[in-house]
Amino acid sequence: MPLLELDRVDLGHGTQVVLPGLSLTFEAGERVALLGQSGAGKSTLLAEIRRRLDSEAAWCPQGHGLVPLLSVYHNVYMGRLERHGALANLINLLKPRHEAWQEIGLLVRELGLEGLLRRPVEQLSGGQRQRVAIARALYQQRSIFLGDEPLASVDPHQALRLLARIQARHTSSIIALHQHRLALDHFDRVIGLRDGQVVLDAPARELTLASLDALYPDAGPSNHEAGVAAST
Amino acid sequence: MSAAPGLLRGRSPGLTLARRSLALILLCLLLLPFADLRIITVDPWGELWRMALGFAWPDFMALESPLRAIVLTVSVALWGTFIGAILGFPLALLFHHSRLVRGFCAFVRAIHELFWALLFLQVFGLSAVTALAALAIPYAGIFAKVYAEILELTPRAPNDALPSGVDRLSRFLYAELPLVWERLASYTRYRFECAMRASVLLGFVGLPTLGFYLESAFREGRFGEAGALLWIFYALVATLQWWGHRRLLLPLLVGALFFLGPWPDVDGELLWRFVSHDLWPAPLLEGNLPGLGAWLAGLPDLLPAIGNTLLLALMGTVGSLLLALLLWPLASRHFGRPWLGFGGRMLLVVVRSTPELMLAFIFLLMLGPSMLPAWLALALHNGALIAFLVARHADGLTLGMPNLPASGRYAYELLPRLYPNLLALICYRAEVIMRETALLGMLGVATLGFYIDSSFQYLMFDQAFFLLLVTAALNIAIDAISRRFRPREVPLDDPCSR
Repeated sequence: MPLLELDRVDLGHGTQVVLPGLSLTFEAGERVALLGQSGAGKSTLLAEIRRRLDSEAAWCPQGHGLVPLLSVYHNVYMGRLERHGALANLINLLKPRHEAWQEIGLLVRELGLEGLLRRPVEQLSGGQRQRVAIARALYQQRSIFLGDEPLASVDPHQALRLLARIQARHTSSIIALHQHRLALDHFDRVIGLRDGQVVLDAPARELTLASLDALYPDAGPSNHEAGVAAST
Repeated sequence: MSAAPGLLRGRSPGLTLARRSLALILLCLLLLPFADLRIITVDPWGELWRMALGFAWPDFMALESPLRAIVLTVSVALWGTFIGAILGFPLALLFHHSRLVRGFCAFVRAIHELFWALLFLQVFGLSAVTALAALAIPYAGIFAKVYAEILELTPRAPNDALPSGVDRLSRFLYAELPLVWERLASYTRYRFECAMRASVLLGFVGLPTLGFYLESAFREGRFGEAGALLWIFYALVATLQWWGHRRLLLPLLVGALFFLGPWPDVDGELLWRFVSHDLWPAPLLEGNLPGLGAWLAGLPDLLPAIGNTLLLALMGTVGSLLLALLLWPLASRHFGRPWLGFGGRMLLVVVRSTPELMLAFIFLLMLGPSMLPAWLALALHNGALIAFLVARHADGLTLGMPNLPASGRYAYELLPRLYPNLLALICYRAEVIMRETALLGMLGVATLGFYIDSSFQYLMFDQAFFLLLVTAALNIAIDAISRRFRPREVPLDDPCSR
């Protein structure tokens, strides 16, 4: 059963089209990695997917989208802000809700942030903030996970563990990332974007690291040879 | 090889700013002969010497119950700012959506605190209500504008990251307000400093704050006592960061309530009569249009007053510009020895903490009632304030070639980077200078404020109110002009610019 179908749509911001005539189908239960240089159109595609799936998908944005002055607890709580009334949310700012505090406490411990529940996000390191952003997405408890580079600022070892947690809690996931090894080993399907076009769409097991080089203009085999020739 | 371009020729942004500034200075020089700059007193230096003596040897023993005046000054400033912020915040939320709100805010902040005080004095007498309303009403307009500007700059990312379907209030409380909270708080703190000065000034219309005792001490030549009061005020401002700490805010606010007073008996009928009848020209209320012409003819000759107001504002602005250019190296780490920098900073802090009306008053006693003392006061106060901000900005820069001689560092390294910001600050200040210009009329300088003050004294409220409206319109016009003149694309990160 397809989760989402895009049939020859133009995607962009305002009048500027970034991805012209795009056709893609996503299946339920699929784990999809989005690859490509920055500016290739990954964020634009994710924004459209997010718009169409709306409240079915948990969302982990690029640059975290956290509020520095608020505590880790409040930042994670924001994942379910729409499920409470304004008054309840206001009171929660002053006095955390008991059950939410327990639940977020467990979640945060699972991601290696124990003891930081009260800490303002502005006092955390880049990697810790990244994990808070992931915790917020997990707290939404959706079946689909959408992430725009959610593993950008953590070390490779940790990226692997976080990805495993994300995939264990969601039946489908569509994640933009730049760790090629991770994309090939832990996803079902890889979609590669370059200059607003889908230049690669294949099952991950059929791909090799070298086949991903085509996504990067200055790392392609032809350029590589030209560079060697010029330097000799 | 082409010839070198002529004087001030070229299209670089720096040259454009230089041409504009020189044009402004030239305009001021051309108009200077029309200004009344006489020195009227016989012995200005002797007077200055006696004042300096009083400042150097303050006579704290001569003060009668200074504590009451201090506590009242602080209480009025605290509650005036607090009420202003409470009123201004909801207005800020509407600010960009409603032309009516923007117009209302422009109007209330175009009239100086002291004129508001004069107006409320007629109804509420020498009471806490007059003092609080005089601060809170213009501040509500200022807060509305500045808060709206700050809120507009809220980063959007956290808001975009929220799940859909979150209600507006929760969105605001979680993903908008916390992001700008620091900036809102720091502006409010700066405004409180302004409120301290304004609260002192309220003494000039008779409310028993520090200014009341300062004015009488100066007027009667008791300079030792005046010096002591000034020292107390500087100490209050200098220690603000300790006693005005945010943890102490709530106890301070509650405590201040006990010292505010006296509370007036408001006669509703009298209040209504004042608002509906006294403030308006009688012919207008009667629908008698020819009579209105006669009423207008009965006004004092406004053109010279308006001319003087504008001229003084121009002179004050240009004077501040020149003084700021001269003074900022005093407080900057890039020039002179460390102890000199410390001394320079202290000097600038003292000059900028002194209320400009106070400075004008001191110069007035020294030089007599012409435009000269007013000019000196405006230029010194605002020049020092801007020099201080520019020096702080300069201290944040690193020099590319630190071994240049001082003149080279000033002209090639620092000034080109600082000047757009300096000019932008001057343009923001022009509106403030304009407001203060009118105010200096209360000291006898023949600006609009002089006629407003005397109209109130003769209980001609309709005339006073009309002149207030004229002043407000002038201010709004100057604000619009300076907004056009000011350099664009300058990041004004310092909230103290307004």
